[in-house]
Amino acid sequence: MRRAWKPWGALAWLSGILFVLPVLWMVLTSFHTESDAATNPPSLFAGLSLQGYEEFFGASTGQSPWPPLINSVSASVGSTVLVLLLAIPAAYALSIRPVKKTSDVLFFFLTTKMLPVVAGLLPIYLIAQYSGLLDNISFLVVLYTSMNLPIAVWLMRSFLAEIPKEMLEAAALDGAGLVTTLRRVVAPVAVPGIAATALICFIFSWNELLFARVLTGVVAGTAPVFLTGFVTSQGLFLAKMCAAATIVSLPVLVAGFAAQDKLVQGLSLGAVK
Amino acid sequence: MGFVAPALLLIAVFLIFPALWTIYIGLTNYELTGPNAVAPQLVGIDNFVNALNDALFQNSLWLTALFVLGSAVIGQNILGFVLAWTLRKAKPGLRRTVESLVLLAWILPSTVVAYLWFAVLDRDGGTLNSLLGSEGTAWLVEYPMLSLIVFNTWRGTAFSMLLYSSALAAVPPSQLETARVVGASGWQTVRDIVFPHIRGHVLTNTLLISLWTANDFSPFLLTAGGPNHASETLPVFIYRQALEGGQLGYASAISLLLLLANLVVAAVYLWLLRRKS
Repeated sequence: MRRAWKPWGALAWLSGILFVLPVLWMVLTSFHTESDAATNPPSLFAGLSLQGYEEFFGASTGQSPWPPLINSVSASVGSTVLVLLLAIPAAYALSIRPVKKTSDVLFFFLTTKMLPVVAGLLPIYLIAQYSGLLDNISFLVVLYTSMNLPIAVWLMRSFLAEIPKEMLEAAALDGAGLVTTLRRVVAPVAVPGIAATALICFIFSWNELLFARVLTGVVAGTAPVFLTGFVTSQGLFLAKMCAAATIVSLPVLVAGFAAQDKLVQGLSLGAVK
Repeated sequence: MGFVAPALLLIAVFLIFPALWTIYIGLTNYELTGPNAVAPQLVGIDNFVNALNDALFQNSLWLTALFVLGSAVIGQNILGFVLAWTLRKAKPGLRRTVESLVLLAWILPSTVVAYLWFAVLDRDGGTLNSLLGSEGTAWLVEYPMLSLIVFNTWRGTAFSMLLYSSALAAVPPSQLETARVVGASGWQTVRDIVFPHIRGHVLTNTLLISLWTANDFSPFLLTAGGPNHASETLPVFIYRQALEGGQLGYASAISLLLLLANLVVAAVYLWLLRRKS
Protein backbone atom coordinates (compact mmCIF):
# COMPACT_ATOMS: atom_id res chain seq x y z
CA MET A 1 0.00 0.00 0.00
CA ARG A 2 2.67 2.46 1.06
CA ARG A 3 4.71 1.70 -2.06
CA ALA A 4 1.79 2.62 -4.31
CA TRP A 5 1.58 6.17 -2.93
CA LYS A 6 4.59 7.57 -4.70
CA PRO A 7 3.54 7.31 -8.38
CA TRP A 8 0.05 8.51 -7.45
CA GLY A 9 1.48 11.49 -5.66
CA ALA A 10 3.79 12.39 -8.52
CA LEU A 11 0.97 12.08 -11.04
CA ALA A 12 -1.25 14.27 -8.89
CA TRP A 13 1.44 16.93 -8.57
CA LEU A 14 2.12 16.87 -12.30
CA SER A 15 -1.51 17.38 -13.25
CA GLY A 16 -1.93 20.12 -10.66
CA ILE A 17 1.05 21.96 -12.10
CA LEU A 18 -0.19 21.53 -15.68
CA PHE A 19 -3.53 23.04 -14.70
CA VAL A 20 -2.05 26.02 -12.92
CA LEU A 21 0.67 26.81 -15.46
CA PRO A 22 -1.24 29.46 -17.45
CA VAL A 23 -2.31 31.16 -14.21
CA LEU A 24 1.23 31.12 -12.83
CA TRP A 25 2.42 32.63 -16.08
CA MET A 26 -0.16 35.40 -15.69
CA VAL A 27 0.76 36.29 -12.12
CA LEU A 28 4.50 36.12 -12.79
CA THR A 29 4.29 38.22 -15.95
CA SER A 30 2.17 40.81 -14.15
CA PHE A 31 5.11 41.43 -11.76
CA HIS A 32 7.68 41.87 -14.54
CA THR A 33 8.70 44.98 -16.42
CA GLU A 34 7.35 45.20 -19.97
CA SER A 35 10.77 44.42 -21.45
CA ASP A 36 11.22 41.30 -19.28
CA ALA A 37 7.66 40.21 -19.99
CA ALA A 38 8.25 40.40 -23.73
CA THR A 39 11.02 37.80 -23.80
CA ASN A 40 10.20 34.33 -25.00
CA PRO A 41 10.52 31.83 -23.36
CA PRO A 42 9.45 33.83 -20.30
CA SER A 43 12.34 35.03 -18.13
CA LEU A 44 11.38 33.34 -14.87
CA PHE A 45 14.05 34.93 -12.74
CA ALA A 46 13.91 38.51 -13.95
CA GLY A 47 13.57 41.13 -11.24
CA LEU A 48 10.09 41.83 -9.95
CA SER A 49 8.39 45.10 -10.69
CA LEU A 50 5.07 46.80 -10.05
CA GLN A 51 5.25 48.64 -13.36
CA GLY A 52 2.42 46.58 -14.88
CA TYR A 53 0.07 47.45 -12.02
CA GLU A 54 1.03 51.13 -12.08
CA GLU A 55 0.33 51.21 -15.81
CA PHE A 56 -2.99 49.39 -15.33
CA PHE A 57 -4.10 51.99 -12.81
CA GLY A 58 -3.32 54.66 -15.36
CA ALA A 59 0.14 55.89 -14.33
CA SER A 60 0.93 57.20 -17.82
CA THR A 61 -2.45 57.32 -19.57
CA GLY A 62 -4.47 58.73 -16.68
CA GLN A 63 -7.26 56.30 -17.60
CA SER A 64 -8.70 54.86 -14.40
CA PRO A 65 -9.92 51.25 -14.22
CA TRP A 66 -11.91 52.02 -11.06
CA PRO A 67 -15.36 52.71 -12.60
CA PRO A 68 -15.69 49.22 -14.17
CA LEU A 69 -14.29 47.59 -11.03
CA ILE A 70 -16.80 49.46 -8.88
CA ASN A 71 -19.59 48.50 -11.31
CA SER A 72 -18.62 44.86 -10.94
CA VAL A 73 -18.62 45.12 -7.15
CA SER A 74 -22.07 46.77 -7.21
CA ALA A 75 -23.52 44.18 -9.59
CA SER A 76 -22.08 41.16 -7.78
CA VAL A 77 -22.58 42.26 -4.19
CA GLY A 78 -25.99 43.81 -4.91
CA SER A 79 -27.33 40.75 -6.69
CA THR A 80 -25.87 38.37 -4.09
CA VAL A 81 -27.63 40.21 -1.26
CA LEU A 82 -30.91 40.17 -3.18
CA VAL A 83 -30.50 36.48 -4.00
CA LEU A 84 -30.05 35.65 -0.32
CA LEU A 85 -33.07 37.70 0.72
CA LEU A 86 -35.25 35.85 -1.78
CA ALA A 87 -33.66 32.41 -1.67
CA ILE A 88 -33.47 31.81 2.08
CA PRO A 89 -37.25 31.84 2.69
CA ALA A 90 -37.90 29.89 -0.52
CA ALA A 91 -35.31 27.24 0.30
CA TYR A 92 -36.62 26.94 3.85
CA ALA A 93 -40.18 26.49 2.64
CA LEU A 94 -39.10 23.86 0.12
CA SER A 95 -36.84 21.94 2.47
CA ILE A 96 -39.28 21.37 5.31
CA ARG A 97 -42.00 20.19 2.96
CA PRO A 98 -41.63 16.96 0.98
CA VAL A 99 -41.56 17.79 -2.73
CA LYS A 100 -43.11 15.58 -5.39
CA LYS A 101 -40.66 13.77 -7.66
CA THR A 102 -41.90 15.58 -10.79
CA SER A 103 -41.54 19.05 -9.35
CA ASP A 104 -38.16 18.01 -8.05
CA VAL A 105 -37.08 17.21 -11.57
CA LEU A 106 -38.54 20.44 -12.95
CA PHE A 107 -36.69 22.31 -10.27
CA PHE A 108 -33.51 20.52 -11.18
CA PHE A 109 -33.67 21.79 -14.73
CA LEU A 110 -34.47 25.34 -13.82
CA THR A 111 -31.66 25.40 -11.36
CA THR A 112 -28.63 24.17 -13.11
CA LYS A 113 -28.11 27.07 -15.45
CA MET A 114 -28.72 24.64 -18.24
CA LEU A 115 -30.57 26.77 -20.69
CA PRO A 116 -28.53 28.45 -23.40
CA VAL A 117 -27.89 31.97 -22.14
CA VAL A 118 -27.53 33.23 -25.67
CA ALA A 119 -31.20 32.35 -26.31
CA GLY A 120 -32.35 34.90 -23.76
CA LEU A 121 -30.10 37.66 -25.01
CA LEU A 122 -32.49 39.36 -27.42
CA PRO A 123 -35.65 39.37 -25.24
CA ILE A 124 -33.67 40.60 -22.26
CA TYR A 125 -32.06 43.31 -24.36
CA LEU A 126 -35.55 44.38 -25.45
CA ILE A 127 -36.81 44.38 -21.84
CA ALA A 128 -33.89 46.62 -20.85
CA GLN A 129 -34.52 48.89 -23.81
CA TYR A 130 -38.27 49.27 -23.14
CA SER A 131 -37.70 49.94 -19.47
CA GLY A 132 -35.00 52.50 -20.27
CA LEU A 133 -32.40 50.61 -18.27
CA LEU A 134 -29.78 49.95 -20.94
CA ASP A 135 -26.30 50.76 -19.67
CA ASN A 136 -27.66 50.94 -16.12
CA ILE A 137 -26.01 48.84 -13.42
CA SER A 138 -29.27 48.30 -11.53
CA PHE A 139 -30.62 46.27 -14.46
CA LEU A 140 -27.62 43.95 -14.20
CA VAL A 141 -28.23 43.62 -10.46
CA VAL A 142 -31.79 42.42 -11.02
CA LEU A 143 -30.82 40.23 -13.98
CA TYR A 144 -28.01 38.49 -12.09
CA THR A 145 -30.34 38.02 -9.13
CA SER A 146 -32.82 36.14 -11.27
CA MET A 147 -30.10 34.14 -13.02
CA ASN A 148 -28.55 32.97 -9.74
CA LEU A 149 -31.75 32.58 -7.78
CA PRO A 150 -32.59 29.03 -8.91
CA ILE A 151 -29.14 27.64 -8.22
CA ALA A 152 -29.07 29.44 -4.86
CA VAL A 153 -32.40 27.94 -3.82
CA TRP A 154 -31.24 24.54 -4.95
CA LEU A 155 -27.92 24.75 -3.11
CA MET A 156 -29.46 26.04 0.08
CA ARG A 157 -32.18 23.43 -0.01
CA SER A 158 -29.53 20.74 -0.12
CA PHE A 159 -27.75 22.33 2.85
CA LEU A 160 -30.97 22.73 4.82
CA ALA A 161 -32.00 19.14 4.07
CA GLU A 162 -29.10 18.07 6.29
CA ILE A 163 -30.92 19.27 9.39
CA PRO A 164 -32.31 16.12 10.99
CA LYS A 165 -36.10 16.14 11.10
CA GLU A 166 -35.87 14.80 14.67
CA MET A 167 -34.18 18.00 15.76
CA LEU A 168 -37.03 20.10 14.41
CA GLU A 169 -39.57 17.81 16.04
CA ALA A 170 -37.70 17.88 19.34
CA ALA A 171 -37.66 21.67 19.21
CA ALA A 172 -41.41 21.71 18.55
CA LEU A 173 -42.03 19.29 21.46
CA ASP A 174 -40.06 21.55 23.76
CA GLY A 175 -42.40 24.35 22.76
CA ALA A 176 -39.91 26.37 20.73
CA GLY A 177 -41.51 28.97 18.44
CA LEU A 178 -40.51 29.62 14.84
CA VAL A 179 -37.95 32.27 15.79
CA THR A 180 -36.27 30.12 18.43
CA THR A 181 -36.21 27.12 16.10
CA LEU A 182 -34.65 29.19 13.34
CA ARG A 183 -32.09 30.73 15.66
CA ARG A 184 -31.09 27.71 17.72
CA VAL A 185 -31.61 24.74 15.37
CA VAL A 186 -31.58 25.93 11.77
CA ALA A 187 -29.03 28.75 11.84
CA PRO A 188 -26.03 26.79 13.16
CA VAL A 189 -26.41 24.28 10.34
CA ALA A 190 -27.49 26.76 7.69
CA VAL A 191 -25.02 29.61 8.10
CA PRO A 192 -22.00 27.88 6.50
CA GLY A 193 -24.25 26.79 3.65
CA ILE A 194 -25.63 30.29 3.19
CA ALA A 195 -22.11 31.70 3.17
CA ALA A 196 -21.02 29.22 0.51
CA THR A 197 -24.10 29.94 -1.60
CA ALA A 198 -23.38 33.65 -1.37
CA LEU A 199 -19.80 33.16 -2.50
CA ILE A 200 -20.87 31.00 -5.45
CA CYS A 201 -23.43 33.60 -6.56
CA PHE A 202 -20.78 36.28 -6.20
CA ILE A 203 -18.40 34.31 -8.44
CA PHE A 204 -21.06 33.74 -11.13
CA SER A 205 -22.06 37.41 -11.23
CA TRP A 206 -18.51 38.70 -11.17
CA ASN A 207 -17.56 36.45 -14.10
CA GLU A 208 -20.64 37.07 -16.24
CA LEU A 209 -19.66 38.52 -19.59
CA LEU A 210 -22.24 37.94 -22.31
CA PHE A 211 -25.09 40.03 -20.88
CA ALA A 212 -22.78 42.67 -19.46
CA ARG A 213 -21.20 43.04 -22.88
CA VAL A 214 -24.50 43.52 -24.68
CA LEU A 215 -26.45 45.46 -22.04
CA THR A 216 -23.86 47.98 -20.88
CA GLY A 217 -21.82 50.71 -22.49
CA VAL A 218 -19.43 53.31 -21.17
CA VAL A 219 -21.33 53.99 -17.93
CA ALA A 220 -22.19 50.60 -16.50
CA GLY A 221 -19.51 48.40 -18.10
CA THR A 222 -18.24 45.74 -15.69
CA ALA A 223 -14.68 44.55 -15.14
CA PRO A 224 -14.85 41.59 -17.58
CA VAL A 225 -16.19 43.91 -20.29
CA PHE A 226 -13.42 46.39 -19.55
CA LEU A 227 -10.86 43.60 -19.70
CA THR A 228 -12.14 42.43 -23.10
CA GLY A 229 -11.70 45.95 -24.43
CA PHE A 230 -8.29 46.13 -22.78
CA VAL A 231 -7.14 43.04 -24.70
CA THR A 232 -7.94 44.82 -27.96
CA SER A 233 -6.31 48.12 -27.07
CA GLN A 234 -3.44 47.04 -24.80
CA GLY A 235 -2.92 43.38 -25.75
CA LEU A 236 0.68 43.99 -26.79
CA PHE A 237 1.69 45.16 -23.32
CA LEU A 238 1.95 41.79 -21.63
CA ALA A 239 2.81 42.96 -18.12
CA LYS A 240 0.02 45.52 -18.09
CA MET A 241 -2.49 43.00 -19.50
CA CYS A 242 -1.49 40.35 -16.97
CA ALA A 243 -1.75 42.87 -14.15
CA ALA A 244 -5.26 43.73 -15.34
CA ALA A 245 -6.23 40.06 -15.59
CA THR A 246 -4.81 39.35 -12.12
CA ILE A 247 -6.75 42.21 -10.54
CA VAL A 248 -9.99 41.12 -12.21
CA SER A 249 -9.39 37.52 -11.04
CA LEU A 250 -8.52 38.39 -7.45
CA PRO A 251 -12.07 38.63 -6.01
CA VAL A 252 -13.16 35.26 -7.43
CA LEU A 253 -9.96 33.61 -6.27
CA VAL A 254 -10.57 34.76 -2.72
CA ALA A 255 -14.25 33.80 -2.85
CA GLY A 256 -13.49 30.46 -4.51
CA PHE A 257 -11.01 29.31 -1.93
CA ALA A 258 -13.20 30.48 0.93
CA ALA A 259 -16.05 28.40 -0.49
CA GLN A 260 -14.02 25.42 -1.71
CA ASP A 261 -15.21 22.75 0.72
CA LYS A 262 -18.84 23.76 0.63
CA LEU A 263 -18.65 24.26 -3.12
CA VAL A 264 -17.79 20.60 -3.57
CA GLN A 265 -20.39 19.48 -1.12
CA GLY A 266 -23.11 21.77 -2.42
CA LEU A 267 -22.65 21.19 -6.10
CA SER A 268 -22.26 17.44 -5.83
CA LEU A 269 -24.92 16.82 -3.19
CA GLY A 270 -27.24 19.04 -5.12
CA ALA A 271 -26.45 17.34 -8.38
CA VAL A 272 -26.87 13.80 -7.16
CA LYS A 273 -29.79 12.93 -5.03
CA MET B 1 -46.28 29.43 -0.84
CA GLY B 2 -45.81 33.01 0.30
CA PHE B 3 -42.14 32.27 0.91
CA VAL B 4 -41.59 31.07 -2.64
CA ALA B 5 -43.70 33.60 -4.55
CA PRO B 6 -41.18 36.49 -4.84
CA ALA B 7 -38.51 34.13 -6.16
CA LEU B 8 -40.95 32.59 -8.65
CA LEU B 9 -42.04 36.01 -9.88
CA LEU B 10 -38.49 37.06 -10.68
CA ILE B 11 -37.78 33.75 -12.42
CA ALA B 12 -40.96 34.14 -14.47
CA VAL B 13 -39.99 37.64 -15.64
CA PHE B 14 -36.35 36.95 -16.48
CA LEU B 15 -36.29 33.28 -17.46
CA ILE B 16 -39.70 32.07 -18.60
CA PHE B 17 -41.02 35.21 -20.28
CA PRO B 18 -37.82 35.68 -22.37
CA ALA B 19 -38.01 32.02 -23.41
CA LEU B 20 -41.59 32.49 -24.65
CA TRP B 21 -40.61 35.72 -26.38
CA THR B 22 -37.77 33.90 -28.14
CA ILE B 23 -40.30 31.41 -29.50
CA TYR B 24 -42.40 34.26 -30.86
CA ILE B 25 -39.47 36.14 -32.41
CA GLY B 26 -38.35 32.87 -33.99
CA LEU B 27 -41.60 32.83 -35.95
CA THR B 28 -41.05 36.30 -37.42
CA ASN B 29 -38.67 37.90 -39.89
CA TYR B 30 -37.46 40.43 -37.31
CA GLU B 31 -34.17 42.08 -38.30
CA LEU B 32 -31.77 44.46 -36.61
CA THR B 33 -32.11 47.13 -39.32
CA GLY B 34 -34.27 47.87 -42.36
CA PRO B 35 -38.05 47.61 -42.83
CA ASN B 36 -38.31 44.30 -40.98
CA ALA B 37 -36.88 45.97 -37.88
CA VAL B 38 -39.82 48.37 -37.74
CA ALA B 39 -42.63 46.05 -38.74
CA PRO B 40 -41.59 42.40 -38.45
CA GLN B 41 -44.05 39.92 -39.91
CA LEU B 42 -44.99 36.42 -38.89
CA VAL B 43 -43.40 33.95 -41.27
CA GLY B 44 -44.44 30.71 -39.57
CA ILE B 45 -41.86 27.99 -39.60
CA ASP B 46 -39.83 29.48 -42.48
CA ASN B 47 -36.85 30.16 -40.19
CA PHE B 48 -36.74 26.54 -39.10
CA VAL B 49 -37.00 25.27 -42.68
CA ASN B 50 -34.21 27.65 -43.71
CA ALA B 51 -32.07 26.50 -40.81
CA LEU B 52 -32.31 22.86 -41.80
CA ASN B 53 -31.14 23.78 -45.31
CA ASP B 54 -28.43 26.17 -44.13
CA ALA B 55 -24.98 24.66 -44.62
CA LEU B 56 -23.56 27.01 -41.98
CA PHE B 57 -26.13 25.82 -39.43
CA GLN B 58 -25.36 22.18 -40.21
CA ASN B 59 -21.69 22.99 -39.87
CA SER B 60 -22.11 24.54 -36.44
CA LEU B 61 -24.41 21.74 -35.30
CA TRP B 62 -21.67 19.26 -36.18
CA LEU B 63 -18.98 21.39 -34.52
CA THR B 64 -21.08 21.67 -31.35
CA ALA B 65 -21.46 17.89 -31.24
CA LEU B 66 -17.72 17.51 -31.74
CA PHE B 67 -17.01 20.10 -29.03
CA VAL B 68 -19.34 18.42 -26.53
CA LEU B 69 -18.11 14.92 -27.31
CA GLY B 70 -14.42 15.82 -27.31
CA SER B 71 -14.19 18.22 -24.40
CA ALA B 72 -17.06 17.21 -22.10
CA VAL B 73 -18.11 13.59 -22.62
CA ILE B 74 -14.55 12.40 -23.18
CA GLY B 75 -12.13 15.08 -22.00
CA GLN B 76 -13.58 16.44 -18.74
CA ASN B 77 -15.30 13.19 -17.79
CA ILE B 78 -12.27 10.94 -18.12
CA LEU B 79 -9.67 13.39 -16.88
CA GLY B 80 -11.93 14.31 -13.96
CA PHE B 81 -12.39 10.66 -13.01
CA VAL B 82 -8.68 9.85 -13.36
CA LEU B 83 -7.80 12.81 -11.14
CA ALA B 84 -10.39 11.86 -8.53
CA TRP B 85 -9.21 8.22 -8.61
CA THR B 86 -5.57 9.29 -8.30
CA LEU B 87 -6.16 11.83 -5.54
CA ARG B 88 -8.19 9.32 -3.53
CA LYS B 89 -4.92 7.75 -2.41
CA ALA B 90 -2.94 10.97 -2.01
CA LYS B 91 -2.24 12.59 1.34
CA PRO B 92 -4.96 15.08 2.41
CA GLY B 93 -2.67 18.08 2.06
CA LEU B 94 -1.57 17.15 -1.45
CA ARG B 95 -5.13 16.31 -2.40
CA ARG B 96 -6.43 19.67 -1.30
CA THR B 97 -3.62 21.53 -3.06
CA VAL B 98 -4.14 19.77 -6.38
CA GLU B 99 -7.91 20.23 -6.13
CA SER B 100 -7.39 23.94 -5.55
CA LEU B 101 -5.09 24.24 -8.54
CA VAL B 102 -7.53 22.44 -10.84
CA LEU B 103 -10.36 24.53 -9.44
CA LEU B 104 -8.55 27.72 -10.45
CA ALA B 105 -9.28 27.03 -14.10
CA TRP B 106 -12.96 26.58 -13.31
CA ILE B 107 -13.59 29.73 -11.28
CA LEU B 108 -11.58 32.35 -13.15
CA PRO B 109 -13.59 34.76 -15.35
CA SER B 110 -13.88 33.51 -18.93
CA THR B 111 -12.35 36.77 -20.20
CA VAL B 112 -9.25 36.10 -18.15
CA VAL B 113 -8.81 32.46 -19.16
CA ALA B 114 -9.51 33.26 -22.80
CA TYR B 115 -6.83 35.95 -22.74
CA LEU B 116 -4.37 33.59 -21.06
CA TRP B 117 -4.85 30.93 -23.70
CA PHE B 118 -4.70 33.55 -26.40
CA ALA B 119 -1.33 34.69 -25.11
CA VAL B 120 0.03 31.20 -24.46
CA LEU B 121 -1.04 29.94 -27.92
CA ASP B 122 0.09 33.05 -29.80
CA ARG B 123 1.99 32.37 -33.01
CA ASP B 124 4.97 34.64 -32.44
CA GLY B 125 5.20 35.44 -28.76
CA GLY B 126 3.36 32.40 -27.39
CA THR B 127 4.93 30.35 -24.62
CA LEU B 128 3.65 27.03 -26.01
CA ASN B 129 5.51 27.43 -29.28
CA SER B 130 8.76 28.30 -27.54
CA LEU B 131 8.36 25.31 -25.21
CA LEU B 132 7.57 22.87 -28.03
CA GLY B 133 9.98 24.46 -30.47
CA SER B 134 7.12 24.90 -32.94
CA GLU B 135 7.64 28.60 -33.71
CA GLY B 136 5.23 30.02 -36.22
CA THR B 137 2.35 27.63 -35.47
CA ALA B 138 -0.85 29.64 -35.13
CA TRP B 139 -2.75 27.08 -33.03
CA LEU B 140 -6.06 28.93 -32.97
CA VAL B 141 -6.01 29.35 -36.76
CA GLU B 142 -4.55 26.03 -37.84
CA TYR B 143 -6.21 23.78 -35.26
CA PRO B 144 -9.17 25.83 -33.98
CA MET B 145 -11.41 22.97 -32.84
CA LEU B 146 -8.56 21.03 -31.26
CA SER B 147 -7.51 24.17 -29.36
CA LEU B 148 -11.09 24.75 -28.17
CA ILE B 149 -11.45 21.14 -27.04
CA VAL B 150 -8.18 21.20 -25.08
CA PHE B 151 -9.10 24.61 -23.67
CA ASN B 152 -12.52 23.49 -22.49
CA THR B 153 -11.16 20.27 -21.02
CA TRP B 154 -8.70 22.32 -19.00
CA ARG B 155 -11.38 24.81 -18.05
CA GLY B 156 -14.08 22.40 -16.92
CA THR B 157 -12.38 19.31 -15.49
CA ALA B 158 -12.62 20.63 -11.92
CA PHE B 159 -16.35 20.03 -11.73
CA SER B 160 -16.12 16.37 -12.79
CA MET B 161 -13.13 15.83 -10.52
CA LEU B 162 -14.94 17.20 -7.46
CA LEU B 163 -18.14 15.34 -8.24
CA TYR B 164 -16.33 12.03 -8.74
CA SER B 165 -14.26 12.60 -5.59
CA SER B 166 -17.38 12.75 -3.47
CA ALA B 167 -18.91 9.84 -5.41
CA LEU B 168 -15.83 7.67 -4.80
CA ALA B 169 -16.04 8.36 -1.10
CA ALA B 170 -19.37 6.51 -1.13
CA VAL B 171 -17.91 3.27 -2.55
CA PRO B 172 -17.65 0.79 0.37
CA PRO B 173 -13.94 0.36 1.25
CA SER B 174 -14.53 -3.29 2.13
CA GLN B 175 -15.41 -4.09 -1.49
CA LEU B 176 -12.29 -2.30 -2.75
CA GLU B 177 -10.27 -4.26 -0.23
CA THR B 178 -11.78 -7.54 -1.45
CA ALA B 179 -10.91 -6.61 -5.03
CA ARG B 180 -7.34 -5.94 -3.97
CA VAL B 181 -7.08 -9.23 -2.12
CA VAL B 182 -8.29 -11.29 -5.08
CA GLY B 183 -5.76 -9.44 -7.23
CA ALA B 184 -8.12 -7.49 -9.51
CA SER B 185 -6.37 -4.95 -11.73
CA GLY B 186 -7.11 -1.24 -11.42
CA TRP B 187 -9.31 -1.31 -14.51
CA GLN B 188 -11.24 -4.40 -13.32
CA THR B 189 -11.84 -2.74 -9.96
CA VAL B 190 -13.17 0.40 -11.62
CA ARG B 191 -15.38 -1.52 -14.05
CA ASP B 192 -16.84 -4.14 -11.71
CA ILE B 193 -16.89 -2.46 -8.30
CA VAL B 194 -16.64 1.30 -8.60
CA PHE B 195 -18.74 1.91 -11.70
CA PRO B 196 -21.94 0.17 -10.52
CA HIS B 197 -21.83 2.34 -7.38
CA ILE B 198 -21.34 5.64 -9.19
CA ARG B 199 -23.46 5.04 -12.30
CA GLY B 200 -25.93 7.74 -11.27
CA HIS B 201 -23.10 10.20 -10.68
CA VAL B 202 -21.58 9.44 -14.08
CA LEU B 203 -24.92 10.08 -15.80
CA THR B 204 -25.62 13.29 -13.91
CA ASN B 205 -22.12 14.59 -14.43
CA THR B 206 -22.15 13.80 -18.14
CA LEU B 207 -25.49 15.54 -18.55
CA LEU B 208 -24.44 18.69 -16.71
CA ILE B 209 -21.10 19.14 -18.40
CA SER B 210 -22.54 18.32 -21.83
CA LEU B 211 -25.21 20.98 -21.55
CA TRP B 212 -22.83 23.54 -20.10
CA THR B 213 -20.39 22.88 -22.91
CA ALA B 214 -23.06 23.01 -25.62
CA ASN B 215 -24.21 26.41 -24.32
CA ASP B 216 -20.75 27.79 -23.62
CA PHE B 217 -19.93 31.14 -25.14
CA SER B 218 -16.17 31.20 -24.44
CA PRO B 219 -15.24 29.81 -27.90
CA PHE B 220 -16.25 33.25 -29.16
CA LEU B 221 -13.56 34.87 -27.03
CA LEU B 222 -10.86 32.55 -28.35
CA THR B 223 -11.59 32.19 -32.05
CA ALA B 224 -14.79 34.21 -32.66
CA GLY B 225 -15.96 31.20 -34.70
CA GLY B 226 -13.18 31.52 -37.24
CA PRO B 227 -11.26 31.03 -39.34
CA ASN B 228 -14.04 30.90 -41.91
CA HIS B 229 -16.63 29.31 -39.53
CA ALA B 230 -14.24 26.45 -38.68
CA SER B 231 -14.93 26.75 -34.94
CA GLU B 232 -18.40 28.26 -34.96
CA THR B 233 -20.33 26.32 -32.32
CA LEU B 234 -24.06 27.03 -31.99
CA PRO B 235 -23.94 29.79 -29.35
CA VAL B 236 -21.34 31.60 -31.44
CA PHE B 237 -23.38 31.03 -34.60
CA ILE B 238 -26.49 32.47 -32.90
CA TYR B 239 -24.58 35.48 -31.60
CA ARG B 240 -23.04 36.24 -34.99
CA GLN B 241 -26.31 35.75 -36.86
CA ALA B 242 -28.06 38.16 -34.47
CA LEU B 243 -25.46 40.86 -33.94
CA GLU B 244 -23.28 40.70 -37.04
CA GLY B 245 -25.87 39.46 -39.54
CA GLY B 246 -28.81 41.31 -37.94
CA GLN B 247 -31.07 38.27 -38.51
CA LEU B 248 -32.87 38.42 -35.17
CA GLY B 249 -35.79 36.17 -36.17
CA TYR B 250 -33.51 33.56 -37.65
CA ALA B 251 -31.15 33.66 -34.64
CA SER B 252 -34.10 33.22 -32.27
CA ALA B 253 -35.33 30.21 -34.21
CA ILE B 254 -31.87 28.63 -33.91
CA SER B 255 -31.82 29.45 -30.18
CA LEU B 256 -35.03 27.54 -29.90
CA LEU B 257 -33.54 24.57 -31.73
CA LEU B 258 -30.59 24.62 -29.32
CA LEU B 259 -33.03 24.75 -26.40
CA LEU B 260 -34.94 21.78 -27.83
CA ALA B 261 -31.70 19.84 -28.32
CA ASN B 262 -30.90 20.49 -24.64
CA LEU B 263 -34.29 19.18 -23.59
CA VAL B 264 -33.93 16.05 -25.73
CA VAL B 265 -30.55 15.30 -24.15
CA ALA B 266 -32.04 15.86 -20.70
CA ALA B 267 -34.98 13.56 -21.48
CA VAL B 268 -32.64 10.79 -22.60
CA TYR B 269 -30.73 11.27 -19.35
CA LEU B 270 -33.87 10.98 -17.24
CA TRP B 271 -34.86 7.85 -19.11
CA LEU B 272 -31.45 6.27 -18.51
CA LEU B 273 -31.55 7.25 -14.85
CA ARG B 274 -35.00 5.80 -14.36
CA ARG B 275 -34.11 2.56 -16.14
CA LYS B 276 -31.51 2.02 -13.44
CA SER B 277 -33.95 2.11 -10.55
